[in-house]
Amino acid sequence: MAMEHLRWRPTVNERDFIESALQSDLRVDGRRSFDFRRLDISFGRGCVFVEWVVIIDVVAVSFREDGSSEVQLGETRVMGYVTAQLVPPYRDRPNEGTLAIFTEFSPMADPAFEPGRPGESAIELGRVIDRGLRESRAVDMESLCVVAGKYVWSVRVDLHILDNGGNLIDAANIAALAALSTFRRPECTVGGEDGQQVTVHDAEVRDPIPLTIHHLPIAVTFAYFGEGNIVVVDPTYKEEAVMGGRMTATVNSNGDVCAIQKAGGEGVMSSVIMQCLRIASVKAADVTSKIRTAVEKYATEKALKKVKRLPASMSQKTNAPDVTMVDKGDDKLGSQSVETLSDVQQISKDPSVVIEANDHEDAKPMITESSTEVKTTSSSGAAVESDEAQEIRSPKSLKDAIKPKHKRKKRKDNRS
Amino acid sequence: MVETGRADGRNPNQLRPFSCTRNPLNRAHGSARWSQGDTVVLAAVYGPKPGTRKGENPEKASIEVVWKPKTGQIGRQEKEYEMTLKRTLQNICLLTVHPNTTTSIVLQVVDDDGSTLQLTSFVSAAVAISCGVMENGAVILDTSKAEEKQQLKSFADLVFPNSCKSVGLKEPKQKDEQIERGLITSITHGVMSEDDYFNCIERGLAASSRISEFMRNTMQKDASEAA
Repeated sequence: MAMEHLRWRPTVNERDFIESALQSDLRVDGRRSFDFRRLDISFGRGCVFVEWVVIIDVVAVSFREDGSSEVQLGETRVMGYVTAQLVPPYRDRPNEGTLAIFTEFSPMADPAFEPGRPGESAIELGRVIDRGLRESRAVDMESLCVVAGKYVWSVRVDLHILDNGGNLIDAANIAALAALSTFRRPECTVGGEDGQQVTVHDAEVRDPIPLTIHHLPIAVTFAYFGEGNIVVVDPTYKEEAVMGGRMTATVNSNGDVCAIQKAGGEGVMSSVIMQCLRIASVKAADVTSKIRTAVEKYATEKALKKVKRLPASMSQKTNAPDVTMVDKGDDKLGSQSVETLSDVQQISKDPSVVIEANDHEDAKPMITESSTEVKTTSSSGAAVESDEAQEIRSPKSLKDAIKPKHKRKKRKDNRS
Repeated sequence: MVETGRADGRNPNQLRPFSCTRNPLNRAHGSARWSQGDTVVLAAVYGPKPGTRKGENPEKASIEVVWKPKTGQIGRQEKEYEMTLKRTLQNICLLTVHPNTTTSIVLQVVDDDGSTLQLTSFVSAAVAISCGVMENGAVILDTSKAEEKQQLKSFADLVFPNSCKSVGLKEPKQKDEQIERGLITSITHGVMSEDDYFNCIERGLAASSRISEFMRNTMQKDASEAA
């Protein structure tokens, strides 16, 4: 059964509307020509924090899910997942590890995507990201060698496209970079009589090691309209359907061009291409800093969570999350996300038994009139004996999130 | 029950905390993200689309399930999950309402910490519980991956229909009283005695009512907001 009829084709009206708006330098979603959409990067289980009321015993939370990222660029959503395996290396590169990128155009992203064999655009996407990462030597391959000629780490990046809102290449690239930045591979030691035996240490025994990443190659996609005169950055799904041609430039924050992809489409003057490359390096710096901030924040949260808390002698339900409001940079929508950090002061003074929770995603105001996200959380409910209180929190307005924070902060200051 | 201490501190009858996000995706006609403890699954629904696949009954709607694991090739295990879910959902949905159409459901495993099959049934408004029988014979609910791998002698995945609560009833009805709640799907792994199995079913039934309550609250909230 052909899915051709499911691929969305723009109507003549829509095409004219988008094109004539661009003539007056207006984009349909209100952005300027060279603005990216709002970028959200979350990691592992960073999206959902759950509140546990543990009275009896302490639970040490370990973040097992390293190397998993979810990126949302406007309406486009991509998930990246990194895994590594010990394998024999390629014969012509006996002391280098390998990096492989697998892209999955999941049918959930677009009704036109079919499960099974990847289509051309999926392959193109995989290749562009692969070129940007591997051939620019962004990830250090030699550090992945364990025993030269016998065992190397083979890193595999799986990119799942969850929602196609346009500009998949950029979003998938960011997801891959974010996942690689937070990925930790297990530490292994070489031993034995012949020095060939490799023991891979469990995460509990020895801390896993991060990958060595030299630079972050950021892909920036440009769409051309009106015979190559009009250029926009980060096209949406509708703009992509109407555009005349597209070019992706993968640039890093040092200003190096790692890869350029312009596969057919309208002819564009070389001066326009040079201008695009300049714009790309500016955007790359911006996106690089966003990725780095997000990765650092995640690393801090993880480190704080690793601290084991002592069992509570008073066994009180203490809940003191430090709620910080993070403002995302060039934010057209003006919505903010609320994040929870474990309380640093609590660790030394108060042996409290808390594993923090809060709703991470508030109801985000979306530009389009499509459905809103609503989140309901429920703490554990015992089936037979209901020991725990069942809390169902629905996201309130941001004011409610602010109030508790101010209250708690005062209390903490008094104690210290 | 202090002896049967589980790794994460739960008692045998305790479910992991669950949460749900509705409609996180824009392109899909319907989507949900459901997490139970550390297991997270994202589901999207498209349809009904015209036409059925070959071999499907054109008098009824057909359901197509695609299961995407987090990494790796799609193998037999994924195909088995797809088939199980498809059969479960066919039982639940009214198929004669949209004959000769295909509704496709795509499930993406975002995080796997055991009980993934159970979570995916959330989309279909049925409730699934995973029960395990431990080495010493105790029955535990909602197994996590570590438990599934190491400690369980056997475990059963069970799917129950939602508890019936009609909206118009004035007098408060006792939960599950006088309502025959059958079992939609049951998949067992390993060896367990009959008594253990029935024990699992009872526990699962009780747990499922909790989850279906949660779901009902969620959907009511959604409906009242939409109104």
